[in-house]
Amino acid sequence: MLTVALDAVTTAALLFIISSGLLIVFGVMKIINFAHAAFVTVGAYAALVGARLGLPWVLVLPLAFIAGAACGGLTEITIVRRLYQRPLDAILATWGLGTVIGQIITLIFGREVQFVQAPFTGTIDLLGVDYSAYRIAMIAAAVIVALVFAGLLNGTRLGLSTRAVIMNEMLAQGLGVDSARVRLLTFAIGSGLAALSGALITPLSSVDPNMGLPWLIGAFMLVMVSGGSLLTLAVSCLVLGGLQVIVSTFINPILGGLTIAICAAIVLRIRPEGFARA
Amino acid sequence: MPEVQQLGRTATAPFGASAKLSMVVLALLIVGSLALAPLVLDSYMVNILIRAFFVAIAAVTVDIVWGYCGTLTFGQSAFFGIGVYALAIVFTEFGFGSWQAVVAIAAAVVAAAAVAALTGWLSFYPGSTPLYASIVSLVVPIVLVQIIYSGGTFTGSSSGLVGFESFDLEFENWFRLAGLSLAVVTAVALIVLRSDTGRLLKALRDNDERCTYLGINTSRYRIVVLVVTGIVASLAGFGYAAVGGVAAPENASFTFGTRLIIMVALGGRGTIIGAVVGALCIEVASAYLSGSLPYVWELIIGIALIAVILAFPDGLVGVIRRLTRGVQQIPRGAATRLLPTMAAAAADNASQVAIEVRELGKHFGSLSVLDGVRFTAHRAELLSLVGPNGAGKTTLIRCLSDGRERSTGFVAIAGHAIDRLPPDRIVQFGLGRKFQAASVFETLTVAECLRVARTHRVRPSLTAASVDLELPPAAISVVERSGLADRLGEEARNLSHGLKQALELAMVLSLEPEVLLLDEPTAGLTRAERQAFADILTALASRDRLCIVLVEHDLDFVREISSRIIVLHQGKIALDGSVDEVVNSALVREIYTGQSKVCETAP
Repeated sequence: MLTVALDAVTTAALLFIISSGLLIVFGVMKIINFAHAAFVTVGAYAALVGARLGLPWVLVLPLAFIAGAACGGLTEITIVRRLYQRPLDAILATWGLGTVIGQIITLIFGREVQFVQAPFTGTIDLLGVDYSAYRIAMIAAAVIVALVFAGLLNGTRLGLSTRAVIMNEMLAQGLGVDSARVRLLTFAIGSGLAALSGALITPLSSVDPNMGLPWLIGAFMLVMVSGGSLLTLAVSCLVLGGLQVIVSTFINPILGGLTIAICAAIVLRIRPEGFARA
Repeated sequence: MPEVQQLGRTATAPFGASAKLSMVVLALLIVGSLALAPLVLDSYMVNILIRAFFVAIAAVTVDIVWGYCGTLTFGQSAFFGIGVYALAIVFTEFGFGSWQAVVAIAAAVVAAAAVAALTGWLSFYPGSTPLYASIVSLVVPIVLVQIIYSGGTFTGSSSGLVGFESFDLEFENWFRLAGLSLAVVTAVALIVLRSDTGRLLKALRDNDERCTYLGINTSRYRIVVLVVTGIVASLAGFGYAAVGGVAAPENASFTFGTRLIIMVALGGRGTIIGAVVGALCIEVASAYLSGSLPYVWELIIGIALIAVILAFPDGLVGVIRRLTRGVQQIPRGAATRLLPTMAAAAADNASQVAIEVRELGKHFGSLSVLDGVRFTAHRAELLSLVGPNGAGKTTLIRCLSDGRERSTGFVAIAGHAIDRLPPDRIVQFGLGRKFQAASVFETLTVAECLRVARTHRVRPSLTAASVDLELPPAAISVVERSGLADRLGEEARNLSHGLKQALELAMVLSLEPEVLLLDEPTAGLTRAERQAFADILTALASRDRLCIVLVEHDLDFVREISSRIIVLHQGKIALDGSVDEVVNSALVREIYTGQSKVCETAP
């Protein structure tokens, strides 16, 4: 029973880390970045390269973040910037970019599945249950991501500009906020976060050119249901992620894999604002 | 194919003689080439083209849902997959035979229709967003594939179903059958989409809200489109499986759904022909290239998609059209004839209550935007709503026209309580609402916009683009006085701001409303346009006995035309009276001139 609870919380933590980058991009730009999955993969391969070079984990994680942020920045400048007025086309173009990145990775690294060793292995004894230490560490990672995020948004000038752009872009521009810069930085940070999450999940899953894809739909639905705030995203991850674990454990894993998508679609049908307060 | 293009555009009404001739020639050409091609082409190519024809049918359905109705759908693959599996499962379970074939087709149609109806119900409801519909369309194929995976031997799980006996037809004949099916689907789609119904679908894409406020149940139209296209895609899948003798989970997958979108995007969305061209090109090219250069081919597709979306949103067909035709546009609907409808029976009773509002409130949490609003308005009254910014004027208009907006209270329009009804139902009680920013259908011509506004009275034709357009006299007078009558064939997006406002007013008047709500109709108009508007409004109130509610900032304008004024202040009715009473009151002077407390504040 405790194992299921721990599974639920650590799954929620993973989902939170992966979807937070998507959330910030959606919040600021009102577009869905379908290349998010590809950036997750980029991060995973950055971790793979880092691990092969023998870099310590404290360096691998920033490396992944920077790789993702660089890809994201480039994407914003070349593609996304031109499509702010056409959000549905932005979905398609970023999907196309995702394919391109996936194929480039395949051409460089091959399509076979590879593995990365976790920085620390073994189990922790929690109330009489042996549980993977690395999964427990993911909870801490999620909390850190959330705190840094909240700190950035509430404690820095960029964060203030970002919140202004989220609330009312026209007004923010009128007040001298350089919204193009805010968008560029947001997209880069969101993509960096995607890559960071990719690096973090590598020890738990294998690395292959399409590894990000299964996560994309879940993350995407969670962001939609959350209605755009970090707090409600955490709630959505806990509720739907928990539900997913429960369904997978007690009913069947295939249905479990669908839980988030189906529940989110139904929640949104009944309550279009999702978990956000009206 | 410029001939096909011309056909829909100039020869409106039941096809003219020359159009008919060129159509017959085109049909003969297609049938002839379909009959001869398998004798010329090598068997590998024939084989590929058969599948490509079926895939192209699915791509056409994507183009209808996305290119015409504006819903980006990843889910058409699910319907295709349903057709594939309906055939495979029935033939695997019961063997091949004539009754089994009938059962399989019936299963393909019924299952696809049911799934499409469910998907449509989930995706389209009053207030749903295009993004949400896209999300649902993503979920459908994913769920379906998981069901297939977990279906054991019944669905063949991840390895699919093979080895069942199927229709025994030679490849040459499969080619002819598939090609003919594609030609028929394409032709029917083109005819329907260029008819009045097709215009209506484009109107849904351009401006769903405006459609709703024209009394059109947009959700129902979208669901019907999804069901019809779902059935067609399912039958395409049925044919695909019948030829191949294989059913694979990939046939239903989200990846295939995306591939269909890419075909349409590359070929040219919203053109049907583009979907066919895109599908055939990609299918044939990938058959030749994906074997030798698998990753590079995917790479090329991805890059091509990005490039097309950034640089040529209208795809290959759009580019070719621009090259062959240059910039000049063939005017559409120029031949439209305006006819006045029979005048409605003169309004019976001037004192008839048109709007009744009791204890209306709108709250956001503890914040009250409107509170305890109570008034009645009668036919032939021109009632102006004034008040400072943030007084709740636009909110009040919204609460009158959409039953889901208000938090508390009672509203009746022309004697009908609006309950929690969506706008399209309230419009049917006799309400017309003109928005603050001119809200028209940008890519439709003036005549088409007006025709869409008549949808509630004249059922749009499925096959023909009509010439005659019946409009109520009030709408015709607006069209003529504003100068729109000379520009009936022009797309609405090319009109000036003033003309767009006039067009929207004419569209709303085409509803023959009893109650007309106008939100700052004169904002941004020139002096002359404003005067023309004033004349039209007073005539509507006095001659046509409409009850007009007008939100306006310009007190001079209000004074000139109103028969009564309501002052809203901080969400409450501060004053309600004749023009003289209100304009000379202390409160109004205070609000509008900033002279505070000269006299006692009004009650």
